[in-house]
Amino acid sequence: MADAPPVDVRGLTKRFGSTLAVDDLTFSIRRGRITGFLGPNGAGKSTTLRALLGLVRPSSGEARVEGLRYPELPDPLGAVGAVLEAHTFHPGRSGRNHLRVLATAAGLPAARVDEVLAEVELTAAARRRAGGYSLGMRQRLSVAGALLGRPGLLVLDEPANGLDPEGIRWLRNFLRSFAADGGTVLISSHVLAEVAQIADEVVIIHRGRLVAQEPLEVLTARSAGGSVVRSPEAERLRARLAGDGIEAALTGDGELRAAAPPERVGEVAAAAGIVLHELRAEGASLEEVFLELTAEGPA
Amino acid sequence: MIRLVRAELLKLVTTRLLLWLGLLIVGLEVLVISLRVSQDSLVSLAEARNQRDIVSIAAVSALVSLILGIVSSAGEYAHGTVSHTFLVAPVRERVVAAKLVAAGLGGAALALFSAAFAWAFAALLLSARSVTLHLGSAAVLRVLLGTIAAAAITGALGVGFGALVRRQTAAVVVALVWLLVGEPLLSIAGIEGFAPGHAVASVVEAGEQGSNLLGFWEGLAVVCGYVAAFGALGTLAVTRSDVS
Repeated sequence: MADAPPVDVRGLTKRFGSTLAVDDLTFSIRRGRITGFLGPNGAGKSTTLRALLGLVRPSSGEARVEGLRYPELPDPLGAVGAVLEAHTFHPGRSGRNHLRVLATAAGLPAARVDEVLAEVELTAAARRRAGGYSLGMRQRLSVAGALLGRPGLLVLDEPANGLDPEGIRWLRNFLRSFAADGGTVLISSHVLAEVAQIADEVVIIHRGRLVAQEPLEVLTARSAGGSVVRSPEAERLRARLAGDGIEAALTGDGELRAAAPPERVGEVAAAAGIVLHELRAEGASLEEVFLELTAEGPA
Repeated sequence: MIRLVRAELLKLVTTRLLLWLGLLIVGLEVLVISLRVSQDSLVSLAEARNQRDIVSIAAVSALVSLILGIVSSAGEYAHGTVSHTFLVAPVRERVVAAKLVAAGLGGAALALFSAAFAWAFAALLLSARSVTLHLGSAAVLRVLLGTIAAAAITGALGVGFGALVRRQTAAVVVALVWLLVGEPLLSIAGIEGFAPGHAVASVVEAGEQGSNLLGFWEGLAVVCGYVAAFGALGTLAVTRSDVS
């Protein structure tokens, strides 16, 4: 099913006893993009991802990978690589042996184990017992496991949790290059800033429900609904904008910050015949938008 | 399916579990055989029947193998490795089936080691007391082969039980309490022969000690029934539960 979205969640609902963890959630992600899956702690992100990966049985609705339910995938590791939040390893088993077990079960050659170990730069520690690994090393081991089957899709649940800045940078660069090679990434986080730097698109949920799904730029523009504009006639533009009731302030040499979306500012400038050198949506208070979006809803 | 069995066997040999269980067996055998050989009279030790009894301590491996099976299934929940396992093999019935086979093989291997060590250690100590050895008898061979068969079965039994409980410590404790307290209580009603522990013992004893044990074939049938029942219940529990 080449035309199916890599991840397709339809009416997904999951109850744990009397707790409604995911509530009629529907979204899909696009191929070749990095999608951030956002929401506060307890919003239902992990449950959604675990339902997608066949670890949690939906109460109703479904979640599909490449058009199939996870257990129907003929080669699961070749379709999707997963890095789960609670991913733990047997403390007495070496990282390399952990991967050998997975490779054996998936029918992959042992040589692939050493390849992925090199890819995540864990070769030196591979024969040590995983119980002695740092959090960053465990995360790399998780990523190595996810890469074993050369999947086109990576699903990561809060991968940045507890990582030091160096580990976060490594992960970010890694995901960027994975996406640059045509891979699709779904990455969850409760901190928008963590994914804002790499995500093309965001899916935001709150209390198990979809709050927003949009390209990051749109979310950014929603933030203040503002624009940054550079023009050789900045002062004249400011006056014209003021004439149309749009507040704008000079913030630098020929740079204006206007309280209107770029489309509106562009229209005003074009009507006045003013040359623009730059016009973009402002992204100053992403975190505020995120908090605002996820603060709503029934108590 | 072969791949999954190989992966499960690889799991068993890539931790120190087998090493610790092997040491446990060695410790128990050294203790029991040394005591018996040093305490018993030379006349008593010279009897073939008593030598068979001494070597039959090897059957402790059937109990150790039960623990191996429980750790193989419930232990994955204890360490959280079960999510890795189900990500590679999302059809969970196959995973449980592979574990049944792998723990059966692992149990048989433990029992083989246990039998070899018990035999060699008993031979060494008996020779040291200048007792004529009767360790090549059919009775000795039968109890050691029975032990290997029993341990293969208890390994699989442990997998099913561990899958049903999915809590490693609880499963081990419940199993031990059942064997040490539960089954003796059943003997009040005189039906202990059909209980799992006694049925396993009848496989080991192979009809040697008739009193309250089933015969070899009846015992084997009963214990295979337990493996099937716990295997089925464990599979049901594992396929129906969420991994979170």
